Amino acid sequence: MSESFAVEIDGVSKSFGAFKALNGVSVRVRQGEIYGLLGPNGAGKTTLIRLVCGLLEAHAGAVTVLGQRMPNVGVLRHIGYMTQQAALYPAISVEENVRFFAAINGAEEGVKEALELVQLWERRGSVVATLSGGMRQRCSLACALVHRPELLLLDEPTVGIDPQLRVQFWEYFRRLAAGGTTLIVSSHVMDEADRCQRLGLIQYGRLLAEGTPAEIRAQGGSQNLEAAFLALAGRTES
Amino acid sequence: MSAHRVRAITRRLLQGFRRDRRTLALLFVAPIVILSLLGYLIRGSSTAPEVGLANEDSGPIGGLVADSLHQSSHIKTTDISAADGDAKLKDGSIVAYIVLPADFTQQVGQGNIAPEVHLEGSQPGEDAPVLQALQQSMISIAGRGNIHFAPKVDYLYGGPEYDTLDYFGAAFVGLIVFFLVFVITIVSFLNERSQGTLERLMASPLRRGEIVLGYMLGFTVIALVQAVEVLVFALAVLRIQNHGNVFLIFGMEALMVIAAVNLGIFLSMFARSEFQAVQFIPLVIVPQFLLSGILFPVSSEPQALQYVSNVLPLTYAVNGMRDIMVKGADLTWPSLQLDLAVVAAFGILLIAAGTATLRRRLG
Ligand SMILES: Nc1ncnc2c1ncn2[C@@H]1O[C@H](COP(=O)(O)OP(=O)(O)OP(=O)(O)O)[C@@H](O)[C@H]1O
Ligand SMILES: [Mg+2]
Repeated sequence: MSESFAVEIDGVSKSFGAFKALNGVSVRVRQGEIYGLLGPNGAGKTTLIRLVCGLLEAHAGAVTVLGQRMPNVGVLRHIGYMTQQAALYPAISVEENVRFFAAINGAEEGVKEALELVQLWERRGSVVATLSGGMRQRCSLACALVHRPELLLLDEPTVGIDPQLRVQFWEYFRRLAAGGTTLIVSSHVMDEADRCQRLGLIQYGRLLAEGTPAEIRAQGGSQNLEAAFLALAGRTES
Repeated sequence: MSAHRVRAITRRLLQGFRRDRRTLALLFVAPIVILSLLGYLIRGSSTAPEVGLANEDSGPIGGLVADSLHQSSHIKTTDISAADGDAKLKDGSIVAYIVLPADFTQQVGQGNIAPEVHLEGSQPGEDAPVLQALQQSMISIAGRGNIHFAPKVDYLYGGPEYDTLDYFGAAFVGLIVFFLVFVITIVSFLNERSQGTLERLMASPLRRGEIVLGYMLGFTVIALVQAVEVLVFALAVLRIQNHGNVFLIFGMEALMVIAAVNLGIFLSMFARSEFQAVQFIPLVIVPQFLLSGILFPVSSEPQALQYVSNVLPLTYAVNGMRDIMVKGADLTWPSLQLDLAVVAAFGILLIAAGTATLRRRLG
């Protein structure tokens, strides 16, 4: 293999009881790539991300992250995970939250930069419970990237974020990727999908289509990504 | 195991408490309120129960007994007629009445002392002060016959200056810390699950053991501060007797805290919401409270319950605290060694259980 894959998901299935949340999904993400996971509610995006960071174990198939078979505790320091709901400690301040996640990753020097990135440096003393929803989301992102991970898993990171900041986030994601960080981003928003280098369309636990945004447009037979997406999703239902 | 990561957990926990006024109040005000209430309940002067007295004796002894009963500190007597007695019991103006029958003196002459006692009977323990007063009055009339009743009482431990609070307080000091720490642990840990931060911790390089240890240290710090407060209050304000080494008391409390924290972590695995977690509290607290020997000595329990008591860690903790504070036990006492060892072993068992089940609910 000449190409280096940061994440290799190979024929993975995961069931919750009798329900198959993922069914034979294979995805490869190159180092330094921004990979977008698209799919309707309940498609299995969060489940796939949890498998990548070893929170869940696959029933079939294999997940390899940065060359290590998951679950593997040693790899976790190189992974940043932003959960879908902003998972923060509500009773402590913004800075205390970020500093805590930095400390458990042994990287306290990155606190200021992370807070400046999400534009919360001025609000660093505020208790999280008093923040607006979007600010919490930003704080959550700061916690995920404070230790400069090699692989960033972002589960719907821009929900509730205003358009200006969203643009800035994506610029920053680009810069990270250019610097060699691999990003997996789940989203429902099509203009965000367009900013990814490659996309994977998931529905009912299966990978429907994969490729660059241009390839997805071609496969779906539409210049509009959303229309292409709906066409691809509809095709398998019949 | 990284000391740095453990410290991060502990620091975060303490930062959370700093701003959480209500929890701080629960931790540091509640024990004082409970202890004060308990102290006042036990030591505050209580009013003697109202008791009716009908002396119908035609001889002289009835009068002597009645005089002595009137002077008793256990009951407050008023003269009534025997016919009114039941009506007064019913309307609640007295809790008992005593009738000295017409042939009382005559009966006494035949060696048969038979006063009648009528009790209202709907409350527990009503008979005790009445019978106590009667017994004393009997002893006092026996004294007129030149018989002196003065048992010489000697105490191996404790002494006549010990009251209920001294026995209760020793155990209570440990108990209050155990229960409050258990409650805040189970709730904080459940929060960690429900707010999603546990998922984040699990996706970080933290080991499970580091999470448990970090929590344990954080709560131990808080609980020991609480223990100092409770102990100072108990010894200086309530003046509970203590013959033991204060550091031993702390040692025992620290072991109880470790057990309480890990019991909280362990049980939080079985609760899906805070609402369910709260329901564990009576489940864990009430049986242990009843069976640990704090209220009823274990040796006086029915045999089947003694078996249960003997496997509950709190029984050993309560016993150990009493050994230290009432008996002045030190580390050379085998009974205290056993108590400490059992509480420590239970703590270790729970650390293992808490750590092992930490991952379960995510999968
Ligand atoms: N712990 C679990 N127990 C049972 N079922 C689960 C569990 N986690 C996920 N599922 C199920 O697996 C399916 C996929 O869920 P997942 O969270 O991966 O969806 P998603 O693509 O992230 O959706 P959304 O866009 O709403 O976030 C859903 O049907 C969900 O109900
Ligand atoms: Mg999701």
